[in-house]
Amino acid sequence: MVKKKVPDWLNSSLWATTTSSSSSADDDRLQRYSSKHSIIADTATATEPLDGSPVPVSTPASIREQPPRPSKPEIKIKDKDKDSRNSVSSNINNNEEDNGNSVAGPSAEDISRQAQLLTELSKKVVNIRELRRIASQGIPDGAGIRSKVWKLLLGYLPADRSLWSSELAKKRSQYKHFKEELLINPSEITRRLEKSTVCENDEAKSESSGMLSRSQITHGEHPLSLGKTSIWNQFFQDAEIMEQIDRDVKRTHPDLHFFSGDSSFAKSNQACSEADTFFCFVELLSGFRDHFCQQLDNSVVGIRSTITKLSQLLKEHDEELWRHLEVTTKVNPQFYAFRWITLLLTQEFNFADCLHIWDTLLSDPEGPQETLLRICCAMLILIRRRLLAGDFTSNLKLLQNYPPTNISHLLYVANKLRAQPSG
Amino acid sequence: MVLVLAIGDLHIPHRAADLPPKFKSMLVPGKIQHIICTGNLCIKEVHDYLKSLCPDLHITHGEYDEDSRYPETKTLSIGQFKLGICHGHQVIPWGDLDSLAMLQRQLDVDILVTGHTHQFKAYKHEGGVVINPGSATGAYSSFTYDVNPSFVLMDIDGLRVVVYVYELIDGEVKVDKIDFKKTATTRSSN
Repeated sequence: MVKKKVPDWLNSSLWATTTSSSSSADDDRLQRYSSKHSIIADTATATEPLDGSPVPVSTPASIREQPPRPSKPEIKIKDKDKDSRNSVSSNINNNEEDNGNSVAGPSAEDISRQAQLLTELSKKVVNIRELRRIASQGIPDGAGIRSKVWKLLLGYLPADRSLWSSELAKKRSQYKHFKEELLINPSEITRRLEKSTVCENDEAKSESSGMLSRSQITHGEHPLSLGKTSIWNQFFQDAEIMEQIDRDVKRTHPDLHFFSGDSSFAKSNQACSEADTFFCFVELLSGFRDHFCQQLDNSVVGIRSTITKLSQLLKEHDEELWRHLEVTTKVNPQFYAFRWITLLLTQEFNFADCLHIWDTLLSDPEGPQETLLRICCAMLILIRRRLLAGDFTSNLKLLQNYPPTNISHLLYVANKLRAQPSG
Repeated sequence: MVLVLAIGDLHIPHRAADLPPKFKSMLVPGKIQHIICTGNLCIKEVHDYLKSLCPDLHITHGEYDEDSRYPETKTLSIGQFKLGICHGHQVIPWGDLDSLAMLQRQLDVDILVTGHTHQFKAYKHEGGVVINPGSATGAYSSFTYDVNPSFVLMDIDGLRVVVYVYELIDGEVKVDKIDFKKTATTRSSN
């Protein structure tokens, strides 16, 4: 694929005008497009701000059987994108508070599905395949079902019910240890480093009076250090990033109060939900991690390759549309699909719709990435008439501000794309 | 972890034009929580500059300061420590450690920050610790022209203070540190 630079004129204010879609400002979307690798996901509320900030010490050994990963980019991403997971996980733990505006009222189908899920969940050993099957039709809001189902689908909770409480306790204490290990301020780090190098007892040395002796600083570390590898500098930079995340979240989602910490309900949930969120997020993102590594961009697993797959999929199912988009109007899929894929469609739809889409994403046995590509393809096919009639400008505008759709229908179309034999 | 900058005796514009550029590049807003200034800035512009680094600024009056409203001495609490500030030209003999110790007992503080001599010093006696951050611009003093620019940054963490000494020697910034702990029994809080 030819390396194309995003042209300057694409950054013009033309793309910044708001349309009828979701509440977040559109110029934010554009900013995030051009600053590909400093994505600050603003789809969600932040958890209570972490005590310090993560120091890029290599993370402890893998969680479950995940392959070892480069520590530095991982932690940075976790900070920035953790929030996107939180918005959805707020539903994991606070299903009752969910302002579910997706379904008008429970239909007979929903009720039966709810009953099926509850039955399945109450079994001693949950049949995950069966769970997937039911969940792929949509999980009803309420009764904390989605919360449990997602945790099972992501493998956070084991299938055997009797192990649940012990697993949860184990994971939550593990998370606590991670925090203690990683979130230490530079003062503390310096002190620990010194303890290991200085063996003589300082107390014995302290005379009652006299000039205080000067000692050398270790590793050139001092609070005003501007060095890239300085722990102090990194501490301040991380603090700045966290402040920015906080500000963005407050600005874009002032109405979501789950983690604001004001109510006692929120407080009691914060402790466990933070740990649960962390592990679920890690699970979820483990499949998509490669999209966020700049070095992997042009590789077989990188974001470019995934976007190409989407393009191929479209070509397979709707050649006319594909030709019109990519050849005639030259709408490079990178312009819209990048955000669709990396943020798992959380920016394109409202909260309730996202939940519905994620139900399918997580439950589909083909795996989230394949499912995601099918859904993206379906998104394109559903608005094909408008796309075929449009030129570059209008198409891009449309795709970057995807119109509200009937999600069930979208998922139905996406499902149909699977049935067709590939190649 | 509280970072406190101790700085003073800049003598801008009379004896020096500005802080050394290498110091200025390190002193950026957002890192420091408090500034303790011994005095002799001397003009408002320097006051404003320090204020931009950190809004919590404490200054005492040096004999050449144009703003006469700064107090002669000041005390404040940061964490577990009580700090006192005084320019030092009032304490005679200038720079005499015993006389400064008297002042420290008078102010009843753990750490006394004082200036005037344009010489960095960190001294411990039974009453506490005296720190002189020197002159941040290397301005000449009443004693000598040979002054290295210096200032101090204290990291107060519980009962422990790490004093980072920043000095400009031969055009290079040298950083040393001094560690001391406050034993909980030496001073009772009122």
